[in-house]
Amino acid sequence: MKQLLNQKPIILLISALLLGALFALPLVVTSPALMQIFILIILYAYFTSTWNFVGGFAGVLPLGHSAFIGIGAYTSTVLFQTFGLSPWFGMIVGGLLAALVGVIIGLPTLKLRGAYFALATIAIGEGMRVLFENVKQVGPFKINGPSGISLQLVESSFMDFQFDTKAPYYYIILIMLLLVLLLTYFMMNSKIGYYLAAGGEEPEAAEALGIKVARYKLIALVISCFLAAFGGTFYAQLMLYFYPKSILGLDLSFEIAFIALIGGRGTILGPVLGALLLRPVSELTRIYLGSSLPGLHLIIFGLVLIVVMRYYPTGLVDPIKKLIDRFIHKPAREKADDLSNPS
Amino acid sequence: MLGIIEALINGLLMGSIYGLTAVGLTLIFGVMKVINFAHGSILMVGMFAAYWFVKLTGLNPYLAILVVVPLLYYFGYFMQNWVIKPIFEAEKDVREPITVIIVTTGIWYVLDNLSLLLFGAEYRVVKTSVTGKIFEFYDMYFLLPKVIGAGITILCAIYLYWFLKHSKMGKAIRATSLDREAASLMGIKQSKIYNIAFGMGCACCGVAACVLIPFYYVYPTVGVPFDIKAFIIVVLGGLGSIPGAIIGGIIVGIIENVGAQFMASTWTELLLYGVFLFVLLVKPSGLFGMKQDF
Repeated sequence: MKQLLNQKPIILLISALLLGALFALPLVVTSPALMQIFILIILYAYFTSTWNFVGGFAGVLPLGHSAFIGIGAYTSTVLFQTFGLSPWFGMIVGGLLAALVGVIIGLPTLKLRGAYFALATIAIGEGMRVLFENVKQVGPFKINGPSGISLQLVESSFMDFQFDTKAPYYYIILIMLLLVLLLTYFMMNSKIGYYLAAGGEEPEAAEALGIKVARYKLIALVISCFLAAFGGTFYAQLMLYFYPKSILGLDLSFEIAFIALIGGRGTILGPVLGALLLRPVSELTRIYLGSSLPGLHLIIFGLVLIVVMRYYPTGLVDPIKKLIDRFIHKPAREKADDLSNPS
Repeated sequence: MLGIIEALINGLLMGSIYGLTAVGLTLIFGVMKVINFAHGSILMVGMFAAYWFVKLTGLNPYLAILVVVPLLYYFGYFMQNWVIKPIFEAEKDVREPITVIIVTTGIWYVLDNLSLLLFGAEYRVVKTSVTGKIFEFYDMYFLLPKVIGAGITILCAIYLYWFLKHSKMGKAIRATSLDREAASLMGIKQSKIYNIAFGMGCACCGVAACVLIPFYYVYPTVGVPFDIKAFIIVVLGGLGSIPGAIIGGIIVGIIENVGAQFMASTWTELLLYGVFLFVLLVKPSGLFGMKQDF
């Protein structure tokens, strides 16, 4: 924490102002449609940040992240619909279930090379979608196969995680995102973070130094799955309707991976930047061109991804950081230049 | 009993077509160590090309092979040369080229949605001289285009195998896939080999696309199920192994068709994922794969 606050005063000031602006946003923006876009940007930044624990730091490419988001959404929803349990409680149960699935999947697959891990996660994500599309009911829980679940509407209350206005959703997901970013920061600067960085780049060398690479990758995967499921519960409560194709399967998984790679995987702010850049594209094209030009936003995503990977393979966070650094440190650098070449 | 034998043979026929798409994927992986996620989309491009060829000229669908295969060969050749090569070069020394994988995913999304934009989401069929014809064999009935298609794909796979084993270019490709550095020391120009291998991988999709056209729908995301099946097949057969891809394809075809005798066809998809994960866990090198590749 000390290290986090030990920054240049100007950076601290700008961050404080940004945070203040984020928290004040619902006071200014009144249109629910616009609020929804902001909420979705933050939600996707959250999804991608949870992806980042394993995709960014463990050096593998998970392409089935939606499986865990789906587990979260389905668990909290069926518990709420069947037993009237608070979705907040269901969120924790969903997280634990997702973590358990993560362990079952991670134990055998994290030992495999990158390409195999990517393929295995695709199979798991798609398998999960097919499974949920084929099952109408498990014991007392109705999941309705491909037509999905509409949440039972109740009066606006915190315990039931349903609100009449968008502002509470906005604050909840904003706080969730900030907590995850904080956790990412602590993890990066902890023993686990260092071990993962070493294991991601040179697994053999790291093993030779006595680091149990597979174990730390598994820890990262479990944290990632646990938190991703929370995002799934939030999605279900926000939309109040979801079906297997919307929350499981390839499209969501790939969108998350795209956001991470364009923003910058393995960085704290990369997922936020990626979501900030890509989400508005998909919302705006869907609203204005959705009927006449279907799939246009995915073409744009793909092209942006190819171009970014070509010129900035580590993502856009690095070049932007350099730009800001230059702006902030400009006076100091000019002084240094003057000293080094006296004319 | 006859029904099961019929399903078995149907699986064999469909499986050999799956196998040929997987051969393309495995060829590219063997040489570049890159999984081409856009493989299914390339098949889709080939199917649309074949569809328009038959629709506009009214010629026999199997003549489309003469047009579609060179088209896809150069499509793959230049896609590798212009889009993939620069990214691949930057990541050459990395053991697990993740950026390249994700770029091929980007290509997948661009191609699929571009064709959605151009052709719309509807399912298209083209009536050809063999569409709907039945081939009778010991009281069992098969679609004639499936039988012809399986025959053509098997011939193609055998030719490709022979080409890689005995021709000069084939030897250069195999040398590159075994050891990049040593091959380039022997005077083999790597980037050219990568382009050719990518082109040949895509050309395999071209053949598969032409034989699918007489009995299969064409739509913008038609590549996705084939893509995922090709992934399953190459892991099953062993990444980088051509006979493995054909045999893996036949196994997948048989599981799918025989499974459909006992359960709803949506469940057979799940069965395939199950088999896939099982193979990954038990023997990730697959049936014919080399040990060092996983």
